[in-house]
Amino acid sequence: MTKLQRTVKLDETTTEIILESISDGVFTINHDWQITSFNHAAEEITGISRTEAIGRHCWEVFRSNMCEGDCALKRTMKEGKSFVSTSTHIINSEKKLIPITASTSLLKDKKGKILGGVETFRDHSLVEELRKELSARFQMGDMVSSSAAMKKIFYILPQVSESDSTILIEGETGTGKELAARAIHNLSHRKNEPFVAINCGALPDTLLESELFGYKAGAFTNAIKNKPGHFALAEGGTIFLDEIGDTSHAFQIRLLRVIEEREFQPLGAVKKIKANVRIIAATNQNLSEMVDKGAFRQDLFYRINVVQLKLPPLRERMEDIPLLVERFIGKLNRISGKAVIGIDQEALEALMYYDFPGNIRELENIIEHAFVLCMEGKIQLRHMPINLSLQSLAADKHATEHDTLKSAETKIIADVLKRNNYNRKAAAKDLGMHKSTLFRKINKLGIVLPKIDGRSYRK
Amino acid sequence: MKIALTVWENRISPVFDVANTLLLAEIANGEVLNRQFASFNPVISSRLAEMLKQMGISILICGAISEVPANIIAVNGIELIPFISGNADRVIDSFAKGKPIVPVFSMPGCGKHRG
Repeated sequence: MTKLQRTVKLDETTTEIILESISDGVFTINHDWQITSFNHAAEEITGISRTEAIGRHCWEVFRSNMCEGDCALKRTMKEGKSFVSTSTHIINSEKKLIPITASTSLLKDKKGKILGGVETFRDHSLVEELRKELSARFQMGDMVSSSAAMKKIFYILPQVSESDSTILIEGETGTGKELAARAIHNLSHRKNEPFVAINCGALPDTLLESELFGYKAGAFTNAIKNKPGHFALAEGGTIFLDEIGDTSHAFQIRLLRVIEEREFQPLGAVKKIKANVRIIAATNQNLSEMVDKGAFRQDLFYRINVVQLKLPPLRERMEDIPLLVERFIGKLNRISGKAVIGIDQEALEALMYYDFPGNIRELENIIEHAFVLCMEGKIQLRHMPINLSLQSLAADKHATEHDTLKSAETKIIADVLKRNNYNRKAAAKDLGMHKSTLFRKINKLGIVLPKIDGRSYRK
Repeated sequence: MKIALTVWENRISPVFDVANTLLLAEIANGEVLNRQFASFNPVISSRLAEMLKQMGISILICGAISEVPANIIAVNGIELIPFISGNADRVIDSFAKGKPIVPVFSMPGCGKHRG
C-alpha cells in the first residue's frame, strides 16, 4: 500500500469515526432515493437500526412532514443547492412527533461526480420542551394568564401549596376558582391523594351534611347502609368547598368544628372520625361584608381565611383574552378534530368590547359557540353569538352614533340610579349588569352622584 | 368489505398527517372490485373518519401516523393499519387475497406494529 493510499484509508476511517460520534443524524441516498449510509445518531433519533434503514427508500425511514410535498433533498438533487436548517417533524414508530431541523446537500466523490444526496438532521425535542417551559411561566396547572394580577397569584401558589393551611379563594363566577384549587392540590404533597370538590350552594342543608360527612345505616328513613361522605373520600387529600357563602349558620357551626378538631361525625354515628384533609373554600361573594352583616359566622370566616386568594374577573385582565382564546381553540381542535387556526381581528375586537359577566367560563362558551359554526380557518365575527356581534356594532366608532348612544346610556343610568335612591347594587341589578360594570360606566360617562350612601336606602 | 389507503402517486403515502389522497376499494372473494380516488384534509381527521363511516369503510391502511389522528380514527370505529409502505396496488392485492401485510409491507422499525 502506497503512502497516499494509506492516507486516504486513514481519512476514510477518521470520517467514519467522526460521523459516528456526532449528535446530528446523517444519512446519504443514491439516485434511486435509497439509503446508502445511516449514522449512529440517525438510529437514535429515528429509532430505526442501520441494517433496517439501508437499502430502503428515504421517505419510508425518515417519515417527515416534508417527504410528500416539499422534500428538501429532492430540491437539492434538482437544483444542486444546499438547504440549511429546515424545521419539520418526523414520526417515530411509537407515533410520536419529533421536532427536527434538517439540512441537505449533494453527495459528490473526489472528482466532483454526484453520487446522491446527504441529509443531516438534529433532534429539537429538548429545545421544544424548554420553549414550553418558558411559556409555562404564564401557566399554573390549567390556569393561563399574562396579567400582572394573575402572575402574582402564580408566584405565591407554590408556597401556598406547600403548607397545609386552609385557603379561601374569592372570585366571581367563572373566574377559575376550582382550577386554582386543583392547581394547589397538584402542587402539594397531597397530589397523589384524592381531590374532592362539592358545590355547597347546590345542596340543601341536610343533604349537604350527609354528602360531606356521610351517614350510618339507620340514621334516617331509607338510610339502609353506611355511606361515606366527601370528607372520608378525600382522606389524605384535598376537599374543595365551593360557594361556602351559601351555607346556613347551622352548617357553618359543624364545619367550624371539623376544622378546629380535625375530625367529623357521620350522621347517626356515635364515634368521630379523624380527618386528614386539606380544606380549600371558595366563594363568589364578599365574605368579609357578609360577616359584617351577620350573614356568615365570623369564627368560621377567620378559620378559613388563613390564606386568601382573590381571582380577578376577566374584565380586569382583558390582556389575557387572546391567550385564553388561543388555549380554548387548541383544546376544541383536539376534541373536535377541526383545524381552526385562530380568531380574526374583528372577532377579537368584539370580545375586547365585551364585559364578560360570566368571566372565563363565558369566554369558553363563546368560543365553543363559534366552533360549531366555524369549520376551519379563523373564527370570524359572524361565527360569534349574536349579542356580541351587536355589541361590536354598537361600539363602532362613528362619532354621531357614539355620542347618541353615550347620552342615551347616561340618561338611562342616571334615571335608574335615582329610582333606586342611588343604591348602586340595586341599580346594577335593574340594569342587568354587574355592579363593577356600573361603577366603570358611571366613571366613564362622568355621571355625578350625590354624596349620600346608597347602601342605607336598600329597597 | 370496503377499505381505504392513503396514497402518494402509486405508493402508500409515507406520512398520514400530510397525505391528501385516498384510494378506496371494495374487496370480495379475494378480488379488488372497485378502485377510486378521493381527496381529503388530514388535519380534520374526525371528518375523514365520519366520511369513511358513511361510505361503509371499516379499515384504513396508511403510512406513519402521529398519535392524535390515530386516536381520533380509532375511537370512530375504523380499524387502522399504520406504518405500511410500498406500492399501493401490491398492498391492496395482498390484503384482498388475505395475505399478511404486516410485516411484509411494514416500514423499517415498525414490523411489530398493528393498529
